[in-house]
Amino acid sequence: MPGHPKSSVRISGRAGGWLAGAALLVAANLAGNWLQASLALPVPGSVLGMLLLLLGLLVYGSVPQGLAEVSGALLRLLALLFLPAATGLFFLRDLSPADWLGLLAATVLGTLASIALCALLLKKLLRRYGSGAGPHA
Amino acid sequence: MPDSLPALLGHPLFILPLNVAGFLGGLWLYRRSGTTLLHPIVGASLLVAGSLYALGIEYRDYQSASGALYALLGPAVVALAVPLRQNLAIIRRAAMPLTVTLCVGAVLAPLIGVGLALLLGASGPVLAALSGKAVTTPIALAIAGKVGAAESLTVGIVVFSGVVGAVLGPSLMRRLGAGDPRIVGFVLGINAHAIGTARALEISALCGAFAALAMGLCGALTAVFLPLLAGA
Repeated sequence: MPGHPKSSVRISGRAGGWLAGAALLVAANLAGNWLQASLALPVPGSVLGMLLLLLGLLVYGSVPQGLAEVSGALLRLLALLFLPAATGLFFLRDLSPADWLGLLAATVLGTLASIALCALLLKKLLRRYGSGAGPHA
Repeated sequence: MPDSLPALLGHPLFILPLNVAGFLGGLWLYRRSGTTLLHPIVGASLLVAGSLYALGIEYRDYQSASGALYALLGPAVVALAVPLRQNLAIIRRAAMPLTVTLCVGAVLAPLIGVGLALLLGASGPVLAALSGKAVTTPIALAIAGKVGAAESLTVGIVVFSGVVGAVLGPSLMRRLGAGDPRIVGFVLGINAHAIGTARALEISALCGAFAALAMGLCGALTAVFLPLLAGA
């Protein structure tokens, strides 16, 4: 609406947008959890919440700025959020040498093999069906 | 041991600042060193684990005192919907190749991992943790609860695969003649998750967008089907 005193509205509007965005994330998460529990679905509630929010954003037509800012901040802090779980890796004691060898091989060789295969497949598919806008490799 | 000091050190008001300090320290190390090998999560977990050993804090006490961070993981997964929505226009243009690669990659990445570990004689819990390999950590954690895998093992595998993929992936793909930023980004998103996405963002914005897209889609796909398979 035009004619509002702009400076004060902008400050409170920004904080309000952040709060509304955070509330939306929590609400979508709770809705996902509720859906998961009430239908006894095998999918984590947070993932259902993500799908619900994506659906909501598609219906709404755009991403509200407050939601975009809160989401960006949260995703930038992802490493902090899973720090406690990652730290637990140093406190694992009941693994056998075979377990460690398997883990190491699976992560290093498995990741590289999978990267190579995926890249070659996508390259072939893009060349055949893609828009062709990409640079020639 | 005296009673009051461990109680104080295990309190959330001590543990949460410890986590934040570890995270900032890891971030500082990463920026100072300039190598992908020292991704913030690597440095930060080393710093925190070292502090826990030095101060004699039990991991279980530390874990329960970090509850506030765990509580934020759910909303963080939900927040992945935003980059997905914002990249929708780019997805549509290459929808078919991306969808096929995503489906193949989401199956291939954990399958190769589990297969190799099986050949080398790893045990059941390790195999269960490996099956969540192709998803970003917050989703992997949620899945680990569903399929009964140890959460620190799951996170360790995701983080370690991410570091390996982010460090060696781009040059490997260039050597295979697949240096297109769309390919590098998408494949890093499938195989190296959040760390790969961070690396892709350093290459270019387009590369980063494709990585975020692949990470979100691959996570959602695995999250839907892996618990179904484990339950069957």
